[in-house]
Amino acid sequence: MIHALLWVCLLAQTQSAEPPMAPELLTLLESAQDAENRRDFDQAIAEFRKATDLAPSVGIVFFRLGEAYMKKRDYAGAIPPLNRAAELSPDSLAVHQLLGFALLAEGYAARAIPHLELVHENGALGIAQLEAGKPAEAVASLEAALAKSPDDPDLLYYLSRASTSLSAESLDRLLSAFPDTARGHQAVGQNFFVMKMFLEAAKEYQEALALRPDLPGLRLELGQVYAASSEWEKAEEQFRGEAKLQPGNAEAAYRLGDALLKQGKMKEAAEQLRRSDSLHPDMPETLYSLGRALAASDPRTAEHALGRVIEMEKESALAGQAYLALAGIHRKQGETEQAAREMQQYRRIQALNDRHAPTKH
Amino acid sequence: MARTGLLSLLCAFSLLAQVAKPKSGPVFQVSSLKGVDFVLRNSPTSRKYLMETMPGGVALLDYNNDGLLDIFLVNGGHVRDPMRIPSSFDRHDPLYWNRLYRQNKDGSFTDVTEQAGLANAGDTNYGMGVAVGDYDNDGYPDIYVTNYGRNILYHNNGDGTFTDVTAKAGVAAGGWSVSSGFLDYDNDGKLDLFVTRYLDWSVEKSKTCGSERPTYCPPGEFPATTNILYHNRGDGTFEDVSVASGIAAKKGHGLGVAFADYDGDGYTDIFVANDATEQFLFHNNGNGTFTERALDSGAALTSNGKMLSGMGVVFQDYDNDGLPDLLVTQLPHEPYVVFHNDGRGTFSAQELETGFGALSGKTSGWGVGLEDFNNDGWKDAFVVQGHVFDNVEMYDSSLRYREPPLLALNDNGHFEKADAGSDVPVAGRGASFGDLNNDGWMDVVTTSLGDHPQLYLNRGGKSHWLTITLRGKRSNRDGYGARVQVNGQVRFATAAGSYLSSNDKRLHFGLASAETADIEIKWPSGVHQILRSVKADQFLLIEELVQQ
Repeated sequence: MIHALLWVCLLAQTQSAEPPMAPELLTLLESAQDAENRRDFDQAIAEFRKATDLAPSVGIVFFRLGEAYMKKRDYAGAIPPLNRAAELSPDSLAVHQLLGFALLAEGYAARAIPHLELVHENGALGIAQLEAGKPAEAVASLEAALAKSPDDPDLLYYLSRASTSLSAESLDRLLSAFPDTARGHQAVGQNFFVMKMFLEAAKEYQEALALRPDLPGLRLELGQVYAASSEWEKAEEQFRGEAKLQPGNAEAAYRLGDALLKQGKMKEAAEQLRRSDSLHPDMPETLYSLGRALAASDPRTAEHALGRVIEMEKESALAGQAYLALAGIHRKQGETEQAAREMQQYRRIQALNDRHAPTKH
Repeated sequence: MARTGLLSLLCAFSLLAQVAKPKSGPVFQVSSLKGVDFVLRNSPTSRKYLMETMPGGVALLDYNNDGLLDIFLVNGGHVRDPMRIPSSFDRHDPLYWNRLYRQNKDGSFTDVTEQAGLANAGDTNYGMGVAVGDYDNDGYPDIYVTNYGRNILYHNNGDGTFTDVTAKAGVAAGGWSVSSGFLDYDNDGKLDLFVTRYLDWSVEKSKTCGSERPTYCPPGEFPATTNILYHNRGDGTFEDVSVASGIAAKKGHGLGVAFADYDGDGYTDIFVANDATEQFLFHNNGNGTFTERALDSGAALTSNGKMLSGMGVVFQDYDNDGLPDLLVTQLPHEPYVVFHNDGRGTFSAQELETGFGALSGKTSGWGVGLEDFNNDGWKDAFVVQGHVFDNVEMYDSSLRYREPPLLALNDNGHFEKADAGSDVPVAGRGASFGDLNNDGWMDVVTTSLGDHPQLYLNRGGKSHWLTITLRGKRSNRDGYGARVQVNGQVRFATAAGSYLSSNDKRLHFGLASAETADIEIKWPSGVHQILRSVKADQFLLIEELVQQ
């Protein structure tokens, strides 16, 4: 049905500018159409090709030949007749749409872009722009396409790729143009961090800090580098600096609290974790660490914090850890039955998570 | 807590309070051992056979009863690259022998391996660890060597020689044995034997991990296996009771082992440090069977619920509350874990509270001891360190294959880093603890891959001490399993613990400023023995009092 409507529509578009067709040509086109309906695309292509010989200046005939190739999934074969159709019928949106698809399918992304732009085919256009090395344009096109089809996994995939590519491009520009700026060192530091080259990462962040000691976020990131290499005293120093720089930053308070916790400074850790919780309530990681920090000194408050983790996390690995910590608190207080109940929950969640864990190889 | 225990504890605290805190400065003088030319030959290959990064054990024992500690060192073997099947490790070649060094009166050592009959370790055996115990109660310490291959029990003939009695004793085990130890689990006065095993591994099953940078595979790449418990029949033979006792019911990746009666029921329990699986705490049911209780007791996981890559372990009371605690060493990115014994048969992971969060986390710990190195009345921690991967720097630039050891002094239950006397990094593995020069101050001998053993000779100080040798009568002659309390401090008599290694069986106590000590012993036989106002600064032999 859609195909028939398109055919009528295309016919109307192309015929408007072209002379009336000879009866012999119409017979060939009908025969080709019949073959196409039978999904005998080779026959249809042969008939359409004869038709192009009879009418070398009729755009619709070249379009139909190109379309038959497309249906056969022979995109390379489709490009020459569609190119000719575009020359003969430069205003035909259908021709540009099909030609854009064919070029993109064959890897000619840059050549596909003007055709897809003409027909506002944002999804395909975004993909072509991404493949042609224009990630910024690709992000805009793909976001426009996603506004119409928000749940399209292909579009989401390409948007993610385009965003990554855009990020890399921006980073390349930053590093080539401004390598010795704080942001330059920060960016290099981030790369080293991802590659687990912690010593190198720390060095870059230190250079960034020397240039702009008040740049928000730098100390937080440097602290995380130290934390990843278990250098908790150095991590604490950086997180403390960030928390001073950004007293309203819940993450800085959380990270500082966690670094203190790792060093066994439970009282001060609890203070920072409470502060983080007040700045950004209901963060499960903050509450879990708070529960651990208070387990010995204030078991009831610790229980409450861990209980909140379980409420929020339900059956995640963190919820399992919270049950385990609760069991420890009860065990220490001689509450054997409660400890056993929490351990039962811990085991249940462990079994669930083991089942869902990806297998090796 | 029992009334007597509480009184002793109060007494101990009042004595300890009089002592000034230790001054900073190196605790040990670090050197090679004079006369010891041993090199731990692990034979690293491009194939990264897992065993080549795991040896080797060291034992401090007085094999000839001359009052001086001697040293037994376990060698690895020659590993071909690639290995042939069947594999041979060229242990007939003196380069790869285990070695026994007798201590001379001047503190030097003489290699007595060949004359002692210990030269042939078996070509098909790649050496791992050592346990020491007088299994036949004849007064001379016997040696058990673990291997990838077959283990060997050497009976001490009492004349400076040993005889391989493995076949008769029936303790060859097989597979890949790691740490081992003698204990009397049924309190029958005869030492039994526990052996940890690491993996179900063979050359055929071996694989290399890492794509561009080949390295050793994690244990999870190979099937887990069971540990072994041998019951001593008392006639020179042992019975494998692994299945009957319940020990074989649990499969793991066992590396370290340590013994103590953690719940005070009079029976020795067993803790196995497992790599990348839950730790095992085998509770001794007192009827020849064990129940694995680590998870429910709180001694299986770190405080945030993670698996440990458990390697070395020591089972002693670090906070002077009279209950044995656990210190388990492991790989980086998680601290070494202290499982504090909370009483009632339960533990809590307190690696953060005790300071190990700040002390470890970047390092890989193997051999470990809790000994009072500064004689202040608190047991300190010593850990020999070094990563598993000899190319770890390529994976994580903040880590190192070779690391210096960790010495952490105990300040009222909190550990703080101290100067061990050497920052020289080594690929440390085994560690044995004992008073090598009989000066009342604990020393350490460590092993490291591809290297000579190192001696950490304690520089000493002014505090008082007491060192006790137990002689069981109804109990096993070594007194293993006895609970000995001195001025409120408790030690559980054992030579096992650490990693692959066996410690000086004498029990050492730092007495701080106390010039006398009250001693209370609970022997495995049930005999309760008390000695009052014993003079400090002496080596004391205590025989089990048995009513005629």
